[in-house]
Amino acid sequence: MRSLFDRMFLDPFQRLADQSAHIVPVLVMVLVTLIVGGFVAFVLRWLTYRMLQLARFDHLVQRTGFASMIERTGVFRSPSDLGARFVQAVVWVLVALFALNATDTPASVEMVRRFVDYIPNVIAAGLVLLLGVVVSRMVSRSALLAAVNAQWPAARLIAGGVRVLVMTLAVVIALEQLHVGSLPLLVAFAIVFAGIVFAMALAFGLGARDMARQWLEAKVRSSVAEEEVFRHL
Amino acid sequence: MDELFPTELRTRLDQIGETDIVVGIPSYNNARTIGHVVSAVSVGLAKYFPNRRSVIVNSDGGSKDQTKEIVLKTEIRADDLLLVSHPVQVSHRISTPYHGLPGKGSAFRTIFAVAKQLKAKACVVVDSDLRSITPGWIELLAQPVLEYEYDYIAPYYHRHKYDGTITNGIIYPMTRTLYGKSVRQPIGGEFGFSGKLAARYLEKDVWDTDVARFGIDIWMTVTAIAEGFRVGQAYLGAKLHDAKDPGSDLTSMFRQVVGSFFSLMEGYDGVWKNVQACEAVPMFGFPFEVGVEPLTVNTDRMIHAAQQGVSDLREIYSSFLSPSTMTDLTNYVHRNGQGFHIPDQLWVRMIYEAAAAYHHRILDRDHLLQSLVPLYLGRTASFVLEVTESTAPQVEERIEQLCHVFEGEKSYLAQHWDTIGKEKFHAQPV
Repeated sequence: MRSLFDRMFLDPFQRLADQSAHIVPVLVMVLVTLIVGGFVAFVLRWLTYRMLQLARFDHLVQRTGFASMIERTGVFRSPSDLGARFVQAVVWVLVALFALNATDTPASVEMVRRFVDYIPNVIAAGLVLLLGVVVSRMVSRSALLAAVNAQWPAARLIAGGVRVLVMTLAVVIALEQLHVGSLPLLVAFAIVFAGIVFAMALAFGLGARDMARQWLEAKVRSSVAEEEVFRHL
Repeated sequence: MDELFPTELRTRLDQIGETDIVVGIPSYNNARTIGHVVSAVSVGLAKYFPNRRSVIVNSDGGSKDQTKEIVLKTEIRADDLLLVSHPVQVSHRISTPYHGLPGKGSAFRTIFAVAKQLKAKACVVVDSDLRSITPGWIELLAQPVLEYEYDYIAPYYHRHKYDGTITNGIIYPMTRTLYGKSVRQPIGGEFGFSGKLAARYLEKDVWDTDVARFGIDIWMTVTAIAEGFRVGQAYLGAKLHDAKDPGSDLTSMFRQVVGSFFSLMEGYDGVWKNVQACEAVPMFGFPFEVGVEPLTVNTDRMIHAAQQGVSDLREIYSSFLSPSTMTDLTNYVHRNGQGFHIPDQLWVRMIYEAAAAYHHRILDRDHLLQSLVPLYLGRTASFVLEVTESTAPQVEERIEQLCHVFEGEKSYLAQHWDTIGKEKFHAQPV
């Protein structure tokens, strides 16, 4: 028969030792994974940066206009730096997942499974945002050129508004992909946008009724006059 | 080519068989003016080519008015109009819808195809909104092709000093600088050409581009010159149009014409880089003084357009203009009233840098071309202010000076086109 002393003092220590024997290797493995993974991520970041530099990636991006946007963030030194850090971040996420999976607890396995299932949504949201940036830039530039060539005084404002509109749509779609509540944002945007349009219509139609009439008359008169008197070809 | 011919047209062409002359008239809702054009063409054919077989082809863009009916039913009173007593060949008339993108170029394509199908020796095209066309135009445009083995006859008109500013400011100087032929109205709209050249045009795969629209005129001229066809000019007097071309807003017209020209520069860069000097082009017809319609130009509006463009589009201009050009542009454009001026050298460098940027695809080509419109309006205002008191010969002399600047700066274009452009643009963030 085991003594009271054994049951009160030795058994807990024994259980602690057994549990430690199970946990410590896992912790060591997680630690090693993080250290090695961090080193690999750093090396890959350095390699990516060098490769992008060699491929003149910064020059290519400069032509699209994203370079100034990236530099304005103050976080990244250049487009190549952004690309390299992105690769590093992806490697870090993979390393973290690997480490989490290594603990082999039901909670961690479930967390990893959910995260992996979520990756396509993250990729889709990222692509939507990227597309939104490209499309908003193209569309706002088209709007700017059309407005300038029509000699509208608020050309830049119109172009900016178009850009905000397209980007807002992209953000809403991206949030939908991430299953984050996008409805409040959409509703808020719709209310603000409708409010602006309504206020402008009221201001223009009521507050500046005479000006509106004169402006429209002048537009019609000047366009007809130009067609009648001038040939460019 | 079969897709260009609806069944009705094919049947008609089979009935006609072969012809000597095809006269093409593109149209879209031109019922008001096309009757006069058809009369002039019919009389011209009967009077100057009584023994030649001829076909008048109206290539229509789906007119909603009576254009087609007027083309087919317009009668000529032989005794009164022709002043001839000898028997004449009656010309056939066809009115057919064209295939492809809506525009003048697509209409011309159908005319080329008809000319090829009928084995025409000469082909003439004239606009359907002309008010000043006379029967003599047909003789002047077709005779050099039929009798003197010319392949391409461009028109030569007297125009108001403010008229045809894309021609005077860009297209004429650049055509003669790059391709070495002094064709004064390269985008005149009325042309004569050989059946051989019509067949050559048809071989080109350009009918989904701006050539199918307003780019057709410059494309025909440059193709003829660059490919070594024999080119001449015909003096036609004055050119008076109807008030407005349907669908001709400045931005799209400018984009199509200048875009087609820049695009041709890419296709023929092996040609224009080797051209060292400009030569005169033979002129047919008897030059005479004519009165032209008075024009009024609102320079204040144009100056405002240029100033707004330089302010609002600064980011776009910085992407394709060199820093020195950008600085000069800013300095000159923001002077108001009579002080507003865009010098020749600055204008030429802007156009050359834009052409190089188009070639290197520094930014979306459509955006590049659209962004040039305010600069063009500014340059036009500057030119108008400069020649307000000048006579027609003085204005012509002034355009000649501009051509010399274009020619003098050609090496600048070549440098930007080949190497410097790329380096500069890489170093110049948008």
